[in-house]
Amino acid sequence: MGLFQKLAFFLGIKRKEVNVLVIGLNNSGKTTVINHFKNDEEKVEKTEIVPTVGFSVEKFQNQNLAFTAFDMSGHGRYRDLWEHYYKDCHGIIFVVDSSDRLRLVVVKDELDLLLQHPDVSNRRIPILFFSNKMDCKEALSSVKIAAALGLDKIMDKPWHISASNALSGEGLQEGVEWLTQQIREYITNKNL
Amino acid sequence: MISIIRKFIRNDLFQGCPNLIATPLNFFTPVNIIDLNISRWLEAHIDRSASLTTFSKNLVLADVCGDGEYRLVLTDLKLENNEKSRLKIYKGTVLTSDQTLPDIPSSIISFYTSNYDSKIPVIGVACGPDLLIYKNSKPYFKFVVPPLPIEALEHSVWNRLSEDPNIDLQSTLDDLSSIPYKSLSPRSQKLLGLQTPLEIKDFISKYKSSEPKKFAPITCMTTLNRSTQDKQSPACPIIATEAGQIFILDPQTFTPMHEAISCATKAIPCVLQAAGMYDVEFRIVIACREGSICLLRRGWLEGKVLIQATANIVDIVVIPGDHFIMTATTDRMLQCYTKRGNKLWNQKMNTDITCLCLIPLSHLSTSLLGVGLRGGSIQLFQGRHLVDIIVGTETPSAIAFGQLGQEEHVMVIITTGGAINFKILKRTADFNFGDGEMNSNPIQQTKPLPLPKRSKLFLEQSMRERQNAVDMHQLFQKDLIRLRLTAARATVQMQSNQSSIGNEQELVKLSAQVPLISPNLTYKIETKVQEKDALVEDNQDSLQDSKRLLRVFVVRKREAKPIVAATINMPPTDLSFLL
Ligand SMILES: Nc1nc2c(ncn2[C@@H]2O[C@H](COP(=O)(O)OP(=O)(O)OP(=O)(O)O)[C@@H](O)[C@H]2O)c(=O)[nH]1
Ligand SMILES: [Mg+2]
Repeated sequence: MGLFQKLAFFLGIKRKEVNVLVIGLNNSGKTTVINHFKNDEEKVEKTEIVPTVGFSVEKFQNQNLAFTAFDMSGHGRYRDLWEHYYKDCHGIIFVVDSSDRLRLVVVKDELDLLLQHPDVSNRRIPILFFSNKMDCKEALSSVKIAAALGLDKIMDKPWHISASNALSGEGLQEGVEWLTQQIREYITNKNL
Repeated sequence: MISIIRKFIRNDLFQGCPNLIATPLNFFTPVNIIDLNISRWLEAHIDRSASLTTFSKNLVLADVCGDGEYRLVLTDLKLENNEKSRLKIYKGTVLTSDQTLPDIPSSIISFYTSNYDSKIPVIGVACGPDLLIYKNSKPYFKFVVPPLPIEALEHSVWNRLSEDPNIDLQSTLDDLSSIPYKSLSPRSQKLLGLQTPLEIKDFISKYKSSEPKKFAPITCMTTLNRSTQDKQSPACPIIATEAGQIFILDPQTFTPMHEAISCATKAIPCVLQAAGMYDVEFRIVIACREGSICLLRRGWLEGKVLIQATANIVDIVVIPGDHFIMTATTDRMLQCYTKRGNKLWNQKMNTDITCLCLIPLSHLSTSLLGVGLRGGSIQLFQGRHLVDIIVGTETPSAIAFGQLGQEEHVMVIITTGGAINFKILKRTADFNFGDGEMNSNPIQQTKPLPLPKRSKLFLEQSMRERQNAVDMHQLFQKDLIRLRLTAARATVQMQSNQSSIGNEQELVKLSAQVPLISPNLTYKIETKVQEKDALVEDNQDSLQDSKRLLRVFVVRKREAKPIVAATINMPPTDLSFLL
C-alpha cells in the first residue's frame, strides 16, 4: 500500500458514517441480523421482532466504522421503497432465507431488478449476501443459493456470500467484516 | 348510413381533435394485442412426477398450522378399487403430510371455526355423505348428512322381514324390486343383487334388526363467513348433496343452522359459490348438473333458477364486488352474467375449458378470472378483456391462486398428467389494465345493432343524406367548432373564477405534507400569506388524524366566509397490514 493510499485509507476510517442498505424478502431475517450488531442496551428480544413496516434506521459500530443501516421492509408492497436508498448507500446487505425454496425465484427477480437499477448498475458497490436460516432443516447451502441466484455473473461488483444463523449470530461477523473491508476500499478509491 | 357516419368520424373528427373523441373511436380499433413477451409469472417449481389426480375444488391454500406459512392442501383421487384416495399437504414445494381417505373425495374446504380458539383453520373433506374435519392435519370431527326418507314400501318390507320368520321370501323380494332401484337404500339394493337363497337368508338375519338408511353423498361445498369479512374469522361450511339438499353448518358445532333445497325441480348441485355473511345477508350460487344456476339467499328454503345454460356446466366462479357469475360450459363458452342472471357477454374458446380459478389481486384492486384450457394454456380475463396468457404444455385439471408459504401471489396448477406446478406473480406485473380498457373493442357483438326499420321515412332520410352529404358534413363541422369554442370559453371562465375564490386581496398559499407513512399520521399544514411578494406570516400547524379526508379552512377572525378552503385526500393506508 502506497503512502497516498494509506492516507486515504486513514481518511476512510475517519469518515463518520457509512450507509448500508439491508434488503431481502420479508421474513428473511433482516431485522434479526441488524439486531445482532446493535449494542446490548439497544438490542431487542429476538421474540419481539415483528415484520418491519416501511423501513427503520438503525446504527451500530463495527471495527471502528459507524454503520447506519436502512432496514427495509421486504414485504411486496414496500419493496418499491428500496430503490430510493440505492443512491446514498456504500454497501448492500442482501438477506436470503435459504430455507424458502419456493421464493428463490422471487429473490432472483428482485436481485436482477437491483442490479439493473441505474443507481446501482454502474457503481462498484459491494454486496454482501447472507444465506440466512442455515439452521433450518430445508436450508440450501450457500453454494446452492449462489448458483440459484446466478451470483457468478456479477462481474463488476465485489460480492460475498455467508451462510448465517441470525438467531445464534453464526456467520454474521464474518460477513460484516468482509463488507467493512470492502466499504473502506470503496471509499478510499472514491476519495482518490 | 352508418358507413357514411363512420367515414366522417374517421376522416374529420379524428384529425380535428383526437383527444376529445378518443373514447367512442375505440369501437373501431382492432382487437387488443397482448404482449406475450412480458412474462408476468416466475416459474418457481415443477414436479412432473407427482402423479396427482386432483380436480377443481379439490385443493385449497390455507394456514393449516397457524404459523403464517400457508400450505397447499389437496386430495389425490385414486379411482381403482384397491387404492385409497389421499389427503396431501405441501409445505412450500415439499409434501409434508399424506394420509388415506375412507372414500373418494368430492371437494375440500378450509375454514376458521371460532374467534377464541387458536388461529388454526380446519380442513373439511367431503367423502360420500360424510364431511370429515381435520385439525392440525389429524382427524377431528365427522359430520354426516341427515338420512333421506325411506320409501314406505321398503320400510314395510324390512318390518315384515324382521317380524315374521316364516315369511314368503319371494313375494317380499318382488315387493322390494317393484320400487325403482335408484330410490332404494344401499342395503336393499345389495339384497336384490344376491343370488343364492342361503346368502339372502344370511343377509336378512344380519341386518333385519335395524332400520335401513339412505344417505345422499355430498357433491360440492364452499364456505361463507359468519359475521365479519375478516380473513381469519369463522366461516360456515356449506354443503350440497346429490339429493339437492343444501346445509349451512355452524362453524363451531358443525350442526346445520339452515337447510334448503337447490331449486323447486330436482337438480343436482355440482358447484357452490357463496358471498356475503351468514349473519347479515348472503347469496349462494348453485350450479347444477342439469345446467341450471340457482340462487339461494338468507331465509330462503328453496333456490330460485337464475340461469339455464344450454350445455353442461364445467365450473362457475362468482367475481367479488359486482357478484358477476362467470360460467364455463362444455361447448367451450365462457359467459358472464349479472347477479340477477342477465347475460352480459360470452366468449367462445378455441378448445375445451377444463377449470376456472378466481385470481384476486388486492394490490391492483381487481380480480382476474383464470380459465384453464385443454392443451395447457391458461387465459386470464379482467372482465371481458383477455389480459394474459400462461402457456403450458399439459392440460390443467385444477388451479388455485392465493398465499403459499410467505408468498401472497402463487398459482398452483395441477395437470391432467399429474404434474404440479408453482408459479409466482411478479411484483411488477401490471397487466396493462389501462391500455386494455382503452384499446380493446367488444370481443364479440352479442347484441345486434339497433338498426331502424326500412320504413318510408327512413328511406327518404337516407336519400337526403346521400344527396346533401357535403352540406350536412359542413354543418356538422360548424357546430362542432362552435361546441369547442363554448367548451374552451367555459374552461377559461371556470379557471379565472377558481383562482379568485376568497383570494382577491391576499395571496394565501396552503400546502400539506405527510412526513411518514405511519399508523398515526401527522399532517403538517403550512399557511403562507404573501402580500406583494413579501412573506408576511408563516404558520405551521400539525395535527393528528386517522381520517382519509381532511378539510382545511383559513378564516379571518370574526368573518364567516373562508379565505381559502381546501380538501386533502389522503392516500389509503392499509390498516389490515399495519395491525
Ligand atoms: N430459524 C431461524 N429463524 C430465523 C433466522 N433469522 C430470522 N429468523 C426468524 O425469521 C422471522 C423473520 O425475521 P425478521 O428479522 O423479522 O425478518 P425481516 O427480514 O426483517 O422481515 P420483514 O421486516 O418483514 O421484511 C422471525 O421469526 C425470526 O425469528 C435464522 O437464522 N434461523
Ligand atoms: Mg424487518
